[in-house]
Amino acid sequence: MDKYVCKLCGYVYDPEKGDPDNGVNPGTPFSEVPDSWVCPICGAAKDLFKKQ
Amino acid sequence: MSAIKINEAVFWVGAMHWDRRLFDELIPLPDGTSYNSYVIKGSEKTALIDTVDPDCEHQLFKNLQQLNIKKIDYVISNHSEQDHSGIIPRVLSEFPQAQLVTNSKAKTILSEHLEIPENKFKIVENQDVLSLGDRKLKFVMTPWVHWPETMTTYLEEDGIAFSCDFFGSHLATSQLFTDRDPKVLRDAKRYYAEIMMPFRNQITRNIAEIKSLNPSIIAPSHGPVYRDPEFIISAYEQWSSDKVLPQVVIPYVSMHGSTARIVDYLVDKFMEIQIEVFPFNITVSDIGEIAMSLVDASTVILASPTVLTVAHPSTFYVAYLLGALRPKTKYIGLVGSYGWGGRMAEVIKPLLANLNAEFLNPILIKGYPRQADYDNLDKLVEMVVAKNS
Repeated sequence: MDKYVCKLCGYVYDPEKGDPDNGVNPGTPFSEVPDSWVCPICGAAKDLFKKQ
Repeated sequence: MSAIKINEAVFWVGAMHWDRRLFDELIPLPDGTSYNSYVIKGSEKTALIDTVDPDCEHQLFKNLQQLNIKKIDYVISNHSEQDHSGIIPRVLSEFPQAQLVTNSKAKTILSEHLEIPENKFKIVENQDVLSLGDRKLKFVMTPWVHWPETMTTYLEEDGIAFSCDFFGSHLATSQLFTDRDPKVLRDAKRYYAEIMMPFRNQITRNIAEIKSLNPSIIAPSHGPVYRDPEFIISAYEQWSSDKVLPQVVIPYVSMHGSTARIVDYLVDKFMEIQIEVFPFNITVSDIGEIAMSLVDASTVILASPTVLTVAHPSTFYVAYLLGALRPKTKYIGLVGSYGWGGRMAEVIKPLLANLNAEFLNPILIKGYPRQADYDNLDKLVEMVVAKNS
């Protein structure tokens, strides 16, 4: 599964870890992360992420 | 300023910072600011919603004394930033029985910044309700207005939404309540531009959350209290929407007059065809005014001379702010002058990569503009008109 990086702050979304603090379970591929999810570091929307 | 009664159970106990002129060592405050803190006296429990900036702590304590508040059961923290949270430790030591009510994200931030002990916290989640006896507080998570932990506390019986930074304005005023005052709207827009604009998508969702509460009052943590929530909600809906206005913002700097000449020419042209244009000489402009102009404008044209092969440092500053504030700008132009060479476009463009904007062809002129250059500027104007029509 691909990692995705926030173009604004550099945070890396790792599908293996997910983002459990914000309701995204470990093992969730980026494509299945809800559109309402935002970068936990800077608040950037999902469309501001690019494949690492 | 003294405590102000909102109703028989709710009182404003905050602070007016009339003479503060800079926030975060960054944002000019032409109208000062306020830190709104509220006391709610339930039949069984008393709650304090947010506190004030440490510079003004005496005002909060004086107001609590004036209301003869001997006991606080809950201190609610809607936002961990120090202008609202900074004196929570002091409040907790004055009222040792009080619990600090907030969400888990805020707990982490407050613990790290203010060293508040673990046993003081009472953690709430979205839609949790806390009873004060005859009144209840509901907590609504409204993240990213302005930090990830921001939340709104809703006093159900009175229909008051305590929204913290959300819907706020930096405005110190003797009038706690506002009813469709254009000055408040202007300061609220400035605040939106400086603080909220980077989180436009999340704001749209949070507006829906607040609207679903159908509040009769919105009581933010800065600036006046809205007795007519529709006034500020509809303004926020407009600012955060994707709709742009056919306006051109031109932040510029000029060292020896060439860039100023280019800007004068563009401004005249846009005025002739009646496209609203906002030129800002960066070196003498309030960055809040520039930010505010970016809320609605479709087009930004940066204008800069060349210094040591790249853009003037003032242009970098504004380009950086544009990239950070992420307005809904659709078109970006770059114009300027140079003496013998340079890489202006190459260095400025990456700063703006976060914007979903189309870059118009840069027009960089060697020396003072001549007829061929004016022809190119005409083409830029024509393109801006075409894009905006």
